[in-house]
Amino acid sequence: MVDRKQTGRALAVVAAAGVALALAGCGSATTAGSSSSATSSSAGATSGAKTPLVVYSAQGYDSDVTKAFTAATGIPVKLVDDSTGPLLTKVQAEKNNPQWGLLWVDGDTAFASLDQQGMLAPYSPSTTLTAAGQALVPADHSYVPVSTTVMAAVIYNAAKTTTVPSSYQDLTTAPYQGKVGMNDPSQSGPTFPFIAGLMNQLGGQSNGMNAGEAYFSQLKSNGLHVYPTNGDTLHALETGQIDYGMIQSSAAAGEILKAPKSASFDPKVVYLPKATLLPGVIGIDKKAPADVQAEARQFVDYVLSPAGQKIMQDSDPQGDSLFWPIVPGIQASSALPAMPEYQRIDPTFWGPLEGQVNTWFDSTIK
Amino acid sequence: MGFAPMLARAGWRSAARTRASSFRGGTWILFWVAVFGLLVLPIALFLLVAFSPALFEQGPSWLTLEAFKSLLTPTFLPSVMDTLAVGVGAGALATVVGGAVAWAVQRTDVPLRPLWSGAMFTLLLAPSYLVALGWERLLEPNGVLDVLGVPDAGLRSIIYGPIGVTGVLAVKGLPFAYLAVSGALRGLGDEFTAAARVHGGGPWTATRITGALLAPAVWSSFAIVFAESISDFGVAATLANDAKFPVATYTLYNAVQAFPVDFPVAAAVGWVLLAMAGLAVFAQNRALKGRSYRVLGGRSRRVRRVELGRWRRPAVASLLALLVIASLGVPVFGALSASVISGLGSLIGSHGFTLDNYSRVIASPQLHGPLLFSVGMGAATATAVVTLGLVAARLLTGSAGNFSRRLLDLLLLTAVALPGIVFAAGYIFTYNLPLTDALGLHLYGTPTLLLLAYIATALPSTTRLLVGTVGQVQHSLPQAARVHGQGPLGAWISSELPLIARPLISAWLLTFGGTLLELPVSELLYPPGQPPVAVGITKALSNYDFGGGTAMEVLAILLALAVTGLLWGLWALFAPAGWRRLGATS
Repeated sequence: MVDRKQTGRALAVVAAAGVALALAGCGSATTAGSSSSATSSSAGATSGAKTPLVVYSAQGYDSDVTKAFTAATGIPVKLVDDSTGPLLTKVQAEKNNPQWGLLWVDGDTAFASLDQQGMLAPYSPSTTLTAAGQALVPADHSYVPVSTTVMAAVIYNAAKTTTVPSSYQDLTTAPYQGKVGMNDPSQSGPTFPFIAGLMNQLGGQSNGMNAGEAYFSQLKSNGLHVYPTNGDTLHALETGQIDYGMIQSSAAAGEILKAPKSASFDPKVVYLPKATLLPGVIGIDKKAPADVQAEARQFVDYVLSPAGQKIMQDSDPQGDSLFWPIVPGIQASSALPAMPEYQRIDPTFWGPLEGQVNTWFDSTIK
Repeated sequence: MGFAPMLARAGWRSAARTRASSFRGGTWILFWVAVFGLLVLPIALFLLVAFSPALFEQGPSWLTLEAFKSLLTPTFLPSVMDTLAVGVGAGALATVVGGAVAWAVQRTDVPLRPLWSGAMFTLLLAPSYLVALGWERLLEPNGVLDVLGVPDAGLRSIIYGPIGVTGVLAVKGLPFAYLAVSGALRGLGDEFTAAARVHGGGPWTATRITGALLAPAVWSSFAIVFAESISDFGVAATLANDAKFPVATYTLYNAVQAFPVDFPVAAAVGWVLLAMAGLAVFAQNRALKGRSYRVLGGRSRRVRRVELGRWRRPAVASLLALLVIASLGVPVFGALSASVISGLGSLIGSHGFTLDNYSRVIASPQLHGPLLFSVGMGAATATAVVTLGLVAARLLTGSAGNFSRRLLDLLLLTAVALPGIVFAAGYIFTYNLPLTDALGLHLYGTPTLLLLAYIATALPSTTRLLVGTVGQVQHSLPQAARVHGQGPLGAWISSELPLIARPLISAWLLTFGGTLLELPVSELLYPPGQPPVAVGITKALSNYDFGGGTAMEVLAILLALAVTGLLWGLWALFAPAGWRRLGATS
């Protein structure tokens, strides 16, 4: 017993020292943090005590857009830039005490679900969107589409094949046997909307899952390859494991810009009817204070303005900037073709099926 | 001396004793308060969501078993069995191989010993992303081995499946097993071998006795690699993506990643993982029950290294080299293929050697700030964790307080067995309550909470690492120091610290390196505007900037290695000779 007591006392001293050190480390980290956030929100500091707008975003251009927004309006922004998955996990875990003011990620199914849980403050900006844009606006205006990509672009290696599909059915035929790849929906965010889009196209909402499941089973018996994400499917194309990859349009356009052409690798893109719209969407936190909600609305207006759109297009030219604008008068990047034939799927119908569809895909198709 | 002064002195003494004992009690109370806040609350509140989703507005019911019912699918039970098999396999493999490496490095005259121990430490820093990437780039159809004309179809089908997953997880656990066993080996003087031999035992008996005395370290290493492996999803998802090899964490990740996020189902899977951790603790307790392993005193004899002989010496060195190439070479190759050689193994024409990714990343402000921030957090975390881990290791190896010992053990393993993403979600549930906000205590979104979560993440493995050594320290040493008039702190510094200084530095570096590249907790808890380096790396990778992301990863690893070199250099220069002599060999 004695020794335990003695060491207990000694340890208390060490523990105290350790805690002090830890706090010191923590203190210095805090100082570093406040100084860096002070620089990023210096415009806000000069314009009085505006509450910072907390932006959760997965867009490649978010850092530049938020800085420009602060410079234009004086509203300080605190940016949490992360992948879509962790951001949505955060938002859901914070549900009883949300810390975000504005959420900006690709895909409207997640926003439809947030709306169904009563977590979004509706907003209708004054900008009239293009036809594709208007198709994406929800009836209750609970979130705002600000750009769009599509799922899927079929990227193929023209140096290895001259056979180009013209419909999704083509991919289940002999010339494509063992040559087609796609992403795994449980690891790639944009892939569930793609699967849901095909289900919607083939069977509608009434019979969608059955018709879609039959199609993917055909693809599988024709030798479909499944890779984790866009990047892995692209890599399989680059290494000749597949000749056709079904990936997000921005990733496909980016690959064509980045990859050097050679005698054995010449990536081209074809869009099959129909491509499913995968919009970039902003939602406003309903539980945020009124002044923060007003700031968030200003942010949406800024993003939809020509200035905001320009920064979105310039900031990540080989990545997320490769979207089709849905604001009239803004031209898409020259790396993108004209908008393909598209459909919009009802996110309130398909969104809640994501877990079920992913599990089915995992056990049956992969 | 008169009677009154004697009485007065006695009174003063008893007062001092009371003060001292309340101080002691205070230490333990402080420790348990920390453990409660760091581990118990976040884990308990997260697991509670399985029964009571309404608690954090994750569903309408206050009491329900729906989440557990949804696990009753034909695939879930087999996936639990797979997970158990992977955990046991990886735990056993890592412990056996890591233990063998530790023995070879500590106890034989195998050449290039610093190289092998350095390799084990480097392995610790290799992110599983690079390990999986390396194997894929080597073995994929039309991959590097195919391009070189090496037939690899057989190896591919082995690695891209359960065996590959178990193997990669075992390699991830290898440094831990190595550090735990070598820490314990250092404390084990030659006297036990000598005693066995004196009593007529052969070399085999001597080895058996040494092995038995290492049991706490061996079990520590097995349990922690087991727990790490059952919580893994990334390795199974990348390597066995199309191998039809479901693991229990698939259900958990699908619940957390697909939208709407289903925390109750994730928590139900959490209970299953908790049960598995419980099994590991139970097995360990059965194995170590009622024995003492206190061998580390002031008189441990110098160990004489086993002379391997002319043939066995190069043979053992070759085996070690093979292990290091297979375990470390693969991720290094993954990093090289992604960041230095453009288009390696691809149809893209030029395979140029380029350092563009590095110059781009070094010049980028998106690297500097996050890297510095992560270094600061890593150092603070390591310091706090080594301190707390030492206290925890004492509790785990103490003879008294069986219940609190088992509770702490189970808690620590559960924290490891729960995937980081749900552990971090538990932190959000706990520290983002409207109630704490109302009290003006707002920790969520601050560096402080991130630090606390880092500490909680690192504490279990660091504690386990220290258990091996702390469990060996003989109690008589500090008692002797006290008898000779030293205060409690002085006694500890002069008698115990020298014995455990080296494992403490190992543990500090282990925690530092682990925290530097920690991802799931960082992603969910980082303060707005202040991303740690792992978040920046992941962001680059998810934007298909494989070159840039990998270059950032390599730079972070090099930095960690530099810190490691610096600390051991300082140790060699400034540590008292007696401290360094422990575990020395002749």
